[in-house]
Amino acid sequence: MASLRSMELEINGAQYALTIEPRVTLLDALRENLGLTGTKKGCDQGQCGACTVHVDGERVLACLTLAVQAEGRSIRTIEGLASKDDTLDAVQQAFIEEDAFQCGYCTPGQIMSAVACIREGHAGSDAEIREFMAGNLCRCGAYNGIVAAVRKAAQRIQGAAA
Amino acid sequence: MSLTDSPAKYGSVAGSETASGPLGRAALRGDGSLKVRGAATYALEQPVEGVLHCVLVQSTIGAGRVAAIDRSAAEAAPGVRLVLDAGNSLTLAPMPDFFGNTPPGDSYVPFAREISFNGELIAAVVADTLEQARAAAALLEVTYEEARSVPTFSDPRAGEGRAVDAMTKEWGEPDAAFAEAPVRIEATYETPREYNLPIEPHGLIVHFEADDRLTIYEPTQWVDGTARNYAGWFGLSFDAVRIVSPFIGGGFGSKAQGLPHSAAAAIAAKMLGRPVKLAVTRPQTFTAYGGRPATRQTLRLGAAADGRLLALDHDAASETSVTGTFTETLGIVTKMMYAVPNLSSRQNVVPVNTVLPGPFRAPGKNPSAFAFECAVDELAVELGMDPVDLRRVNEPDHDFETGKPWSSRRLLKCYDVAGEAFGWAGRNPAPRSMREGRQLIGWGMAVGTHPVYAAPGEATVRLLANGSVEVSSSAIDMGTGTYTILAQTAADVLGVPVEKVTVRLGDSRLGRAPVAGGSQLANLMTAAVHKTALAARDELVTLGLTDPNSPLRDQANTLTVADGRIGASRGGAISVGELLAATGRDHLEVTRDTLPEADRTPEERQRMFSTLAGRGALPDLPVSRHSFCAHFIEVRVDEDFGTIRVSRVVTAFDAGRLYNPKLAESQFKGGIVMGIGMALLEEGVTDPRNGRILSSNLADYRIATNADVPEITTISVGEPDYDATPLGGKAVGELSIVGVAPAIANAVYHATGRRVRSLPIKLDDLL
Repeated sequence: MASLRSMELEINGAQYALTIEPRVTLLDALRENLGLTGTKKGCDQGQCGACTVHVDGERVLACLTLAVQAEGRSIRTIEGLASKDDTLDAVQQAFIEEDAFQCGYCTPGQIMSAVACIREGHAGSDAEIREFMAGNLCRCGAYNGIVAAVRKAAQRIQGAAA
Repeated sequence: MSLTDSPAKYGSVAGSETASGPLGRAALRGDGSLKVRGAATYALEQPVEGVLHCVLVQSTIGAGRVAAIDRSAAEAAPGVRLVLDAGNSLTLAPMPDFFGNTPPGDSYVPFAREISFNGELIAAVVADTLEQARAAAALLEVTYEEARSVPTFSDPRAGEGRAVDAMTKEWGEPDAAFAEAPVRIEATYETPREYNLPIEPHGLIVHFEADDRLTIYEPTQWVDGTARNYAGWFGLSFDAVRIVSPFIGGGFGSKAQGLPHSAAAAIAAKMLGRPVKLAVTRPQTFTAYGGRPATRQTLRLGAAADGRLLALDHDAASETSVTGTFTETLGIVTKMMYAVPNLSSRQNVVPVNTVLPGPFRAPGKNPSAFAFECAVDELAVELGMDPVDLRRVNEPDHDFETGKPWSSRRLLKCYDVAGEAFGWAGRNPAPRSMREGRQLIGWGMAVGTHPVYAAPGEATVRLLANGSVEVSSSAIDMGTGTYTILAQTAADVLGVPVEKVTVRLGDSRLGRAPVAGGSQLANLMTAAVHKTALAARDELVTLGLTDPNSPLRDQANTLTVADGRIGASRGGAISVGELLAATGRDHLEVTRDTLPEADRTPEERQRMFSTLAGRGALPDLPVSRHSFCAHFIEVRVDEDFGTIRVSRVVTAFDAGRLYNPKLAESQFKGGIVMGIGMALLEEGVTDPRNGRILSSNLADYRIATNADVPEITTISVGEPDYDATPLGGKAVGELSIVGVAPAIANAVYHATGRRVRSLPIKLDDLL
């Protein structure tokens, strides 16, 4: 039977100490052990994208990642996206403006994917956005709004960088 | 066509705001900021100290009985607090579901001994951590005595089922009219099991604060109905149960009933004296509750040479479980959509070894429209008529089913506006006549409808000294926009900016509210808040005119309230806060409901909101109330591979007044997206040997992804319909899915010449 193990996770720039079994997923560690419930569980099988977080800047499905695998790496969740003065990230702001969600449950995963999609340079056209956001399911069917929000945020980010 | 009727008048839904006040504006979603921050707290995220974790165990046979469950290994596993099955479970009092099914006997246990479907709840394991509970659940030794199951109604042993009397309807002389009709078609249409699949799976936290008092954090479309159900199970009063459900991660009909897993978690919490959290796993959601049953419909249409419908015969069947009756009401659209002088409609339900099916977005209307709207397209082909023209010929001047006039029906306008925006006039009617390279292009259309339902609601409005307003009710928001439109309603009446209004929802300690289902809640709760806010305004005016300490006393014989101030129309005004302070108050609170005036005991009153009795309390109206829409859809089919892509959608809606066009557009588009999935992707696949759901996950049961959905154009042609509802809205939430699948099937026929009558349409249907 699994024994407990102490570990430290760096999440949104802060250090979190926890003692859990090695079989605990990053998703359950966030939600059940650390109270960081912004990351959602929609399937626990790597099929819906609701648990998308960034590990060392890359999109990762937290339900298919053990917490121990993230030790010593930099984890970013939806709670760490707004700036310290609470200003929303460009993607978060665009999601509100374009009404890119209804129930809001897939939204943190959509936004984490969208941030990476833009950073990876895959927001060049609506068709490209659709393809690179296709791993995040939305049963409310907010896909048109999501595409519009990613397009808008990408334009703002590129405008700011220019 | 006069200039004012020109289609150019109608733009996108979100741009269609016509309001002078806050209600009707395309305001941003009020709870948006919380949701994009990950700060909206869904049920399983509520901070409850010391929770234990409960994991479900479901049967792996389709029929038979559980001979024995050896709990010993699981009970001995680390961290395990309790292993529950039918042998050691606390018993509850049986409670009826919405559909009138009550478990047999004097007591109810949510764990089955007699198995009636694969995936039925048989046991649960509670442990300190989720991982421990999951590991221990795998150690249960279950011995079955397996019997032969009848997994689907396609199994010949399922038989014909039994007739649902309420679904039998006949007028005119349908047999004779069909026999004499110069043009006739007959065809059978099928839809598979379809699943609601909100991205937030079902689950709950149960906390007994005392033996006779509990709080349940559970996503529910009906806080009051849910509270009543738990109170009934445990023999407690309604007030002893608190349901907390501020955010719901989607429901689509599936989150309104008292389900076995909820009873299991509550029993565990009661037996252990500790809060218990239970999360239904994604695969378990396919049998923890039922989705839309499989359906089969045979339609016979007879028409005159000019297209006028002469006869309609509709023979329908849907699956139900062997233990209860759920009727997917398949005749619902066929009976009212067109002018049909001779009609016969009937439906059987066929019991099979499945979980009891349940409501899923536009129950009845959705598959009913699939069959009928495909059949009308087939008739148009047979007649050599344009399918829009055929529908125009059969546009009814009243509802042929009820004989009542329409409260409003702007479907002809939908054809005009959406048809023009789509470019329908450029369609070559011949199949396989339009192409681009190796892609066959098909244009299809179909209509949708949804009835306007009504039930009473209750709201509380508090005016605070700082000029802000609080609105509260146990009504819920599952993404439908309730928070936003209720703030807009109160702001509209009270003359304050929307930002000054706080809305609290989803808590049974707040005012009563009916189910968020049947696309009714927006109309009912805006009406309740409107009435309550008007009463609050009146009380404020009375206070200003009559309170001995009011600075406004004797100033005038009436006062007006606007921009957070109250005063005479000519002369000085003071802030609402100043008036409250001067009269020795920090707030003014008013609660009103929309029940018809009558003497009722508190118990009767509560029944009006926590059961479907409230609907019956409302007067029968002399008009037929429905929303309508017309979908025009383009598909592209690869000639070599048979792959089907939806490339364009233009839909016009007649849903009355839209309380917030931006949020209504999101719901309209969402229903269309779900309809694309229904047409081309979604299919519950059942193992014919034992009834196991083979597609019980989000990879094998495919819902539409972002890459499956083109830019969708939605246009509102609705006008306020005050005969339908107090504030002029009609049905929005479920309307748009109705008619999408037949529009796509009709487009696929136009592209390929292949008429596919069984959903989903797959590439192998076209090769």
